[in-house]
Amino acid sequence: MYFAQLAVNGLVQGLVISLAAMSITLVFGIVRFPNAATGDVMTVGAFSGLIVYPLTGSLLLSGVFAVAVAAAVALASHLLVFRRLAGRSVVALLVASIGVGFVLRSIMGLAFGHQPMVFSMPLSRPYRLGGLAINPLDLQLALLALVMLVLAFAILHLTPIGRQMRAVADNPALARVSGIRSGRVMAALWVLAGAIVGAGGVMLGVKTVVGPEMGWDMLMPAFAAAIFGGIGSPAGALLAGFILGVAQEMSTPFVGFTYKIALSFAIMLIVLLKRPSGLLGRIEGVR
Amino acid sequence: MLSYLLAIVIITLIYLLLSFGLSLQYGSVGLINFGHVGFFAIGAYTSALLALSGVPLLASFCAAAIAAGLAAWPIGLISLRLRDDYFAIVTLGFSETVRIIIVSEKWLTNGVQGVPGIPRLFSSLPVGFEAQLATAALLLLVCAAAAFTIWRIINSPFGRVIQAIRDNEDALKALGKDPARFKIQVLMLSAALAGIAGAFYAHYITFIIPEQFVPLVTFYVWMAIIIGGVGRISGAIVGTVLLMTFLEGSRFMRDFIPGVSEVEMASLRIGVIGLLLVLFTLYRPQGLMGDYTKR
Repeated sequence: MYFAQLAVNGLVQGLVISLAAMSITLVFGIVRFPNAATGDVMTVGAFSGLIVYPLTGSLLLSGVFAVAVAAAVALASHLLVFRRLAGRSVVALLVASIGVGFVLRSIMGLAFGHQPMVFSMPLSRPYRLGGLAINPLDLQLALLALVMLVLAFAILHLTPIGRQMRAVADNPALARVSGIRSGRVMAALWVLAGAIVGAGGVMLGVKTVVGPEMGWDMLMPAFAAAIFGGIGSPAGALLAGFILGVAQEMSTPFVGFTYKIALSFAIMLIVLLKRPSGLLGRIEGVR
Repeated sequence: MLSYLLAIVIITLIYLLLSFGLSLQYGSVGLINFGHVGFFAIGAYTSALLALSGVPLLASFCAAAIAAGLAAWPIGLISLRLRDDYFAIVTLGFSETVRIIIVSEKWLTNGVQGVPGIPRLFSSLPVGFEAQLATAALLLLVCAAAAFTIWRIINSPFGRVIQAIRDNEDALKALGKDPARFKIQVLMLSAALAGIAGAFYAHYITFIIPEQFVPLVTFYVWMAIIIGGVGRISGAIVGTVLLMTFLEGSRFMRDFIPGVSEVEMASLRIGVIGLLLVLFTLYRPQGLMGDYTKR
């Protein structure tokens, strides 16, 4: 029962990892570099939510605002930096993304300080479900994430721009000769990637504390989940995020709190060496 | 004042050892190592803990180099099987894992409380200026030796093979050279340099905590070699000096701009580093001392 409870706790954590990993995997699959600024865009989302929450008292509204701000920041990072580095080596994009992340973290640190802040949520009695305690807040958060996920998958699979995105991911050259305007597709991609991770930021902020370093600390598990799920596969990232979140919680009694992060590193390493295509990805040259 | 300047020189030289290693890795074999601080930490803790248990400093410094070099061996094996960007993520994870192990294994490392009272170098000399001067001189010697070694490597048949690895790995394999061995050797050599740098750091600061070995240190070094120009000894030197000028200068800035707290300054520092990383990759990828004959 104890482990079942840990697994339930891990689900919300897993959703946060899933959202961050989806953002990474979308960018990695299409722009083809691991965006190290993803975590810091998440932080931006968390702080944006934190501003709106006391004003409105609505988790949904703060979520929407956070998603909008994070999407705008991601789009700006594309327009100002990453678009101009198209065609350059991976290391240029990678180093630039580290730089973008630092700038965002610096702005957050200067604007809000380094004191940890919290969403002051009203306390509520957990639902009892056959011995499992389920926090209503967790349910709300899961619902928020679900809305975001449904939206994301709907955009990817049901709209023309989503189809074009997947076409570019599949085969950029073929997509271009078929008349897909890659500029618009790229902009849409970055908006979507930012929006997804912004929602994750609010969730993480509500579950833990909000600080300038929070997103950076999520980067390792998020990269691990993106690789575990298979680069370029949003569904894989979702699944892998859940597995990692639950695995982290369930391993805590054995390995202790601090080794949780090392666990995701170990999983990532094993996946890269043994099954580089991940859970749902296709074989792509990781070697 | 003089001993303060000397302190800056010592820290600069320590960072220079880190820059040399990273520059050699990226500039020669094209390895994107985002976890250099991990080797630095291994060196610092190895030497500090050995020295505290009575091992002579010369031996503990050697042990630091060997431990860091050996830690690079499995990383090198992994690097052979991964594309550059995946390798960057893996090394970043490696350095974080090293830090987590240091935090968690309190029986060995005293966890977040850190290791105090690490013996200084040249403790027989009077404390203060002379000991510092001797440390700086020794460091300068080590840096010069490292620079000479790297220069020899780059200009040897071995070095030409290394550069060929970066430029066209497949062609090199077709010529019957084994790029794998070279990559691992370069990685281990620069890790050993980072280990020595760590040992110097530990015995100079005399107090180490896990917080000193965060990924930010790696990116400081990246900033130095990107600004200076990747793959050149002169680039590493210019970049490192500029980096230290900036880091130390920002400390003085606080005296001139009133009302800026230490944490705000730290944020500002990260922001400037980030901005420089972005601007240099955008507008001056060769760095200041870069090779303009190539793209």
